[in-house]
Amino acid sequence: MVTGVRRRTALTVLFSLTASLLAACGSGSDAGGDLTTEKVTLRFSWWGADDRHKRTQQVIEMFQKKHPNITIKGEFKEWNGYWDSLATTMAANDAPDIMQMDELYIASYAERGALLDLNEAKKHLDTANFDQKALATGAIDGKQYGLPVGLGMYSIMVNTDLLAKYNIPVPDDTKWSWDDLKKIGDQVSKAGGGQVFGVQSPGINDAAGLSIRARQQGKAMFDAQGKVVLPPEIATQYWQYILDLSKTGVAAPPSVTIEKASAGLNQSATATNTAAFGLWWNTQLTALTAASGAKLKLLRLPGETQGSARGAYYKPSMFWSVSARSKHPAEAAAFVSFLANDEEAAKILLTERGVPANLKIREAIAGQLKETDKAAKEYLDTVPVSDPPRITPNGASTLDTILKRHTEDVLFGRTTPDAAAASFIKEVQSEVDAAK
Amino acid sequence: MSALDELRQLRHGGAQVRKRDNKAAFWFLAPWFAGLLFITVGPVLASFGLGFTKYNLIQPPKFIGFDNFARIFSDERLHNALGVTFTYVLVSVPLQLACALGVALLLDRGLRGLAFYRSAFYLPSLLGSSVAIAVLWTQVFGAEGLLNRVLGFFGIEGKGWISDPDTALSTLIVLNVWTFGSPMIIFLAGLRQIPAVYYEAAAIDGASKWSQFWRITLPLLSPILFFNLVLQIIHAFQSFTQAFVVSGGTGGPSDSTMFYTLYLYQQGFSRFDMGYASALAWFLLLIIAAFTAINFWAAKYWVFYDD
Repeated sequence: MVTGVRRRTALTVLFSLTASLLAACGSGSDAGGDLTTEKVTLRFSWWGADDRHKRTQQVIEMFQKKHPNITIKGEFKEWNGYWDSLATTMAANDAPDIMQMDELYIASYAERGALLDLNEAKKHLDTANFDQKALATGAIDGKQYGLPVGLGMYSIMVNTDLLAKYNIPVPDDTKWSWDDLKKIGDQVSKAGGGQVFGVQSPGINDAAGLSIRARQQGKAMFDAQGKVVLPPEIATQYWQYILDLSKTGVAAPPSVTIEKASAGLNQSATATNTAAFGLWWNTQLTALTAASGAKLKLLRLPGETQGSARGAYYKPSMFWSVSARSKHPAEAAAFVSFLANDEEAAKILLTERGVPANLKIREAIAGQLKETDKAAKEYLDTVPVSDPPRITPNGASTLDTILKRHTEDVLFGRTTPDAAAASFIKEVQSEVDAAK
Repeated sequence: MSALDELRQLRHGGAQVRKRDNKAAFWFLAPWFAGLLFITVGPVLASFGLGFTKYNLIQPPKFIGFDNFARIFSDERLHNALGVTFTYVLVSVPLQLACALGVALLLDRGLRGLAFYRSAFYLPSLLGSSVAIAVLWTQVFGAEGLLNRVLGFFGIEGKGWISDPDTALSTLIVLNVWTFGSPMIIFLAGLRQIPAVYYEAAAIDGASKWSQFWRITLPLLSPILFFNLVLQIIHAFQSFTQAFVVSGGTGGPSDSTMFYTLYLYQQGFSRFDMGYASALAWFLLLIIAAFTAINFWAAKYWVFYDD
């Protein structure tokens, strides 16, 4: 009897082993194998604007010339539509082979088993010239789910034309505080006479501002395990600050603030020259300068020298990821390697996806950059930073929208900063728990 | 040959002809039937099953019993979404039907160029739930939009109507009322059915226009009104596009335009919780069924059939 059971178990194990081996063979080439010489087609998807589509298409054509048997089919969308469609194609087992991935979503997809560990495709993917800290931002538990494309840093963008118009000197950003920002913003608002305001309120489009506040006090939004460890008093301070900006007229009235911030970059207060200071990613300098037509300058974050730590960090603007279900992972990795390492490709892509995380490429394109791109690169090269925060954990990809809702509740007096802090922390934690 | 004769022939005509006709009909129906089966019935049944699972779109669904349905009763944001949706339905549908009836009565008086007016008033219905109109709405009710320019003309300071949680839903209600065209067309057809002799008799007896409306028009139009009411309530419960576009998919500010369907969509596609989203879809079906049942029950007391 005992032997019977054992034999059956052994048979089952043997059978399932064979089955899994067969399955592995059946799913096209594997990530570590040689590149195929047969004709293959890979799908590649990204979000972005027109300029990005043109540049990316050019680079795709360069790759196809080098690998005539590989066809790359580009698919592009704008940000919101991109994530909706990625979720549905994933569910339909029809995900693109190569995708542009964001820090907010990478853990949510990786920990559900949707992304390939790029280490498996090491043979085809060269990461030697990447900054190790930057590379680590795309890794979870030692598995490389994304290759960082570009880096960005949170910054204050100041409209120096507006300051000159009102005779207000540009502040010294090496040791200014959040209170200094409020004070100088108040001067601008008073001079602006209801048309121009001092500060474009943060807390609407992303959670980075809150995370930076926490980091400056030696705290963080999440711990290594993905638990929310944000102290409620820091969140309270954050919303109190935003509420003060609104109440004292340093920022525009709430409905105007929300509308401008939600309408996209080109309608923002910075782009329409209706606020002198705004929190932005340094890489957005070129786009905002073009939109506003004014002279914009990158300033360091306030509060970097008053607290116990620096809040600034290198944020990967996006990643290249390969689908775990791709039938041609080796070829997909080779294409990612081309995007990340080819100098000719880099000269077309430039800093459109952020200042390149590949250090060799960053130097190779330095001579070709526009003035605003150069300023963004210089900001990244010179401003002191500390280690990046843990990537947004699985389940918390709705972090930004949760933050926005709480900011709206605070601005319209539907809740207090205190209550908002408690509710925010509770909700984010429950999202993380629900994904487990 | 009159329609009646035709019908008679169909009934008594050769069985052979009928059989052949049926066969052809089945072939013509087949594509539609396949669509119904695979694109509608299949997913509907699948969603019922998914309602009892935890399903994140990527990993296989896990059976969790009634957890999703239990969550409906403790989910505060859902309760807010229900409040928003009920307000939208209960305010916008009566207003929309009143507008539709009012305009239909005006147009029924034999205006010259009636066809033109009818089309002009009907146009918003065609466009109403389109993305283009929702985008237009943000231009009209934005901080620098048309409405504020007009108000500024009279020295009134406006605000961002869509980005203020106190007024955002009202702009969507106005949008829905504006699309009164399709019930209007149905009312117009109904008004044409009322025999003119009733009005002539009433006028001879000295009844005022007002009492003619209350005692002749409204009772005879009540089946049409009932039909429109049921249809528009169902339609309003399912509204999605307007809120999605106007709020940029967030249901904001402060969840003030969070329609039930938008919340359902966010659960499925932003939070990757397709199990809960499926449960919500079935719960919405129950709500709509309940409203429709109440409507049919109440109809006994106010709908008048002139048969």
